Amino acid sequence: MSRDGWWARRKARREARRAASAQNRREMPQRVHEVIPPEGVPLSLTIASMGARFGAQLFDLLLTGLASVALVIAIALLVDASWNLIGGLLALLFFFVRAPYYVATELIYGGRTPGKRLMRLRVISADGRSLATYAVVLRNLMKEAEVFVPGTLLLIVSAQDPVSAILMLSWIVIVLAIPLCNKRRQRLGDIIARTIVVEEPQALLMPELAERQKARFSFQPHHLDHYGAYELQTLERVLRAATEWRGKSAQIRRDNTLAVIVGKIRARTDYVEPVAEADHLAFLEDFYAAQRQHLEARQLMGERRADKHHRTAAEASQPDKERS
Amino acid sequence: MSFSEIPRTGPKTGRKPEPERGAAPRPKGTTGTTGPAGEPRPTAEAAILRSARFRSEREEDWQRLDALVARVERRGPRSLDFGEARTMATLYRQAATSLSVARAISLDRALLSYLEALVTRAYLAVYAPQEGLGGALWRFLASSASQAMRGLWPFMLAGLATMMLGGLTGWLLFLENEAWYDVLVPRGPDDVRGPEATREELLSVIYDGGGSTLDELSAFAAFLFSNNARIAIFAFALGAFACLPTFILIFYQGLFIGCFVALHVDRGVGLDLFGWLSIHGVTELGAIVVAAGAGYAVGFGVLFPGREHRRTAMARMARPAVKAAIVAALMLFAAAVLEGFGRQLIQDTTTRIVIGWGIGGLWLLWWLAAGRRA
Repeated sequence: MSRDGWWARRKARREARRAASAQNRREMPQRVHEVIPPEGVPLSLTIASMGARFGAQLFDLLLTGLASVALVIAIALLVDASWNLIGGLLALLFFFVRAPYYVATELIYGGRTPGKRLMRLRVISADGRSLATYAVVLRNLMKEAEVFVPGTLLLIVSAQDPVSAILMLSWIVIVLAIPLCNKRRQRLGDIIARTIVVEEPQALLMPELAERQKARFSFQPHHLDHYGAYELQTLERVLRAATEWRGKSAQIRRDNTLAVIVGKIRARTDYVEPVAEADHLAFLEDFYAAQRQHLEARQLMGERRADKHHRTAAEASQPDKERS
Repeated sequence: MSFSEIPRTGPKTGRKPEPERGAAPRPKGTTGTTGPAGEPRPTAEAAILRSARFRSEREEDWQRLDALVARVERRGPRSLDFGEARTMATLYRQAATSLSVARAISLDRALLSYLEALVTRAYLAVYAPQEGLGGALWRFLASSASQAMRGLWPFMLAGLATMMLGGLTGWLLFLENEAWYDVLVPRGPDDVRGPEATREELLSVIYDGGGSTLDELSAFAAFLFSNNARIAIFAFALGAFACLPTFILIFYQGLFIGCFVALHVDRGVGLDLFGWLSIHGVTELGAIVVAAGAGYAVGFGVLFPGREHRRTAMARMARPAVKAAIVAALMLFAAAVLEGFGRQLIQDTTTRIVIGWGIGGLWLLWWLAAGRRA
């Protein structure tokens, strides 16, 4: 640990973040796992949050717990049993319902227990190949060894044997802390079985924005040389949102936003022709189409423009090249 | 029935011109060559972008894939028939190619994120675990468990040797001084078995009358959280710490058994004890040995990784070891049934020995014979 104080470290981190390209800052989700499927196209998946996993776990425990309680009640109705026996049976049946439940449901639903389905989570294999039966069995057996068996023992022995109770408790705490300490939020069983819990991606196909047949505004190449992909995609976000705003006050706010954006674009690109207020949306849509066409053509030629600083970035990289 | 779909998809998508290859340079000049003042001049069809055309040509296939994948997500891969499953795989590969192309040519964020999500979902559907529950269970019982056991035989022997070493030590310690019994063997408050016990007291435990069914059930439940089950679990789980905890646990278990047996032999009830222990002990101690062997295997990976990373070597050894651990769990369960019911119902020593060792032989037969390739 460095001794220069958290404030200085925080400042340095903030500087670093500012230096990172705006694109990355806005687009990258918090925790991403990249898999390369056999087809060779890298895909990124969002690592499941601890909250979502806890929720899924809670649901699964509730389900298996209720099932075993129902079984025990059925047994208790059939034979008249002592409370001691019922307690033992409950712990036992809970184990025999729970352990196969996780393995079976993850095998049947392709890495999803009902709780995970509810929370839209999925277990995947870390290496991009399909989830092996072995990995499913291993990660769920480890779950027993990590939490459930020590937990049951804790309930049983806590009264008589404080030392082993404390040992069990600290084991459980350590094991629960492991996912918080690694980047991919893996628990011990995930690490050994090489699995990761990810969020299921949601796909929604939005309409094409640049499909306008008749463009009313046209732009010169010198108008289009100012911005990069980041600005283009920000504009895309604004335009997609613009069609969804409802209500009077929302309309006014939208018009104000559009006016500000139109003003900024015109100022930066030296677009001198007047744009009527009623045409703001049309102007932005045409600008978006023209800018995208321009940038995509550039990209095909091998020049990717990340953002509006692309010119200074190109100049900055130039001397480096000469030196090396 | 769905064969009719295949030819429709295949050639149709196959014929599509790849935009990089087929398309002529876009007539961008129409927008670029306006007057010097940049007069707003309507530009017609040319405004359709290359990436927009790319999308419109493939959109239909993506949506078909989307529908198929959504069905698999909701109702499982079995809801597709053969043709649909094949179509899904084909469409998935095309969509993966589309994503790759789109990343190169398109700046449409919505399109890129849609395609990525779609391909990821399809990837998860196509590369889902392909084995059903019954298939996995059958494969485990019929071949993979016994193959793992055969593969781990040196570790199993090491586990057995550890326990026998412990047993021998315990026996010799007891012969040297009977007070060792109190040190090594944990005793309950009403357990009569001890250095001061007589032959009759020992026999009374060995041949106690059958209790009610409830007592048996209770014993059964208690057993699973008993000493032996815990030792088996920890012998396996702690094996990863360089075998040492496993060795200590199993050696101690051996000490305890050695002392226990020596006491009974000393009082002249050795054969009766042998029968009493045999009926479930063969399976139960066998389970501990198997669990210890599995723990040793994992620890061996950690200790001697060879040219691999320790983590990789451990993961490689863990694969058969987990199977062996499941075998041990099955054996513990069988031992619990035997102890809960068999030990009290069967009071004859010969029958006890025959059943106990017979079942032990069956385990061995399973490991040695099952899943051999002809």
